Amino acid sequence: MHNIGNDIVDLNLAKTQSNWQRKGFLEKQFTQKEQDEILSSENPFLKVWLFWSMKEAAYKCYTQKFKERFFAPQKFECTIISKDKGMVVFEENTFYTESISNALYTSTIAREKKEETVIFFAVGLASTIDLDLKIKLAAETGVSCKGIEKRKTTIGAPLFYYKEELLTTSCSISHHGNYGAYAYNIGSKF
Amino acid sequence: MTKEEIISKLTTIVKPYVQNEEGFKNLNENTDFINDLEINSANLVDIILDVEDEFKIEIDNDSMEKMLSVKATVEIIQTKINA
Repeated sequence: MHNIGNDIVDLNLAKTQSNWQRKGFLEKQFTQKEQDEILSSENPFLKVWLFWSMKEAAYKCYTQKFKERFFAPQKFECTIISKDKGMVVFEENTFYTESISNALYTSTIAREKKEETVIFFAVGLASTIDLDLKIKLAAETGVSCKGIEKRKTTIGAPLFYYKEELLTTSCSISHHGNYGAYAYNIGSKF
Repeated sequence: MTKEEIISKLTTIVKPYVQNEEGFKNLNENTDFINDLEINSANLVDIILDVEDEFKIEIDNDSMEKMLSVKATVEIIQTKINA
């Protein structure tokens, strides 16, 4: 089993929805090392949301496996490896991340293994992201898009079925403001 | 402070972050901040900071970890104000 987690932050909404400079905001959610990196960064705002999306994607990857929910962002420590690649460590677990950042959004995919496995992912509009995913999934698996059904696991992770057959081995969908993003992989039979 | 008083103050605190008005109308002890109120996870920290200010308590990391529902939050507030 190869789990995937993803996250997206609408940067315009983040500006109004959260105030990263609020007293306690950084201290409660980021490690000392991350706080230092944020504050010495050229654009602290972008660094806050890059780290946040990495933590959130890694958390979603973790909860798919361990089926428990909690709020402990500080325990997920981020390390930037290159412009778009990073690592998040939580207890005994390491997650490998890839992020896309531009003027509109920051989005991250986290996975458990470093090796490249095929992951289908895209960023789109929040309102159509489920449909976007179904269209892509139908094309990849050869089933009819209309017959694809979304279900949720106990912790709220999405799974996609065609009739009674599970199509996705791991899937994560994220919405924030105007944007949506998905990441999934499919069974080896497809 | 009674449980009802705590829930009433907490309702005022979470209101600005709520994205599901139906869930907010039905807010009760079993309400989950993310699943029922669709609060953005990035705003959970704001709720925690607001709770600290309102009740003049300090929420440690272990307590913060559990604060995903009204019930868990009320229990933590009660423990802290009685400490």
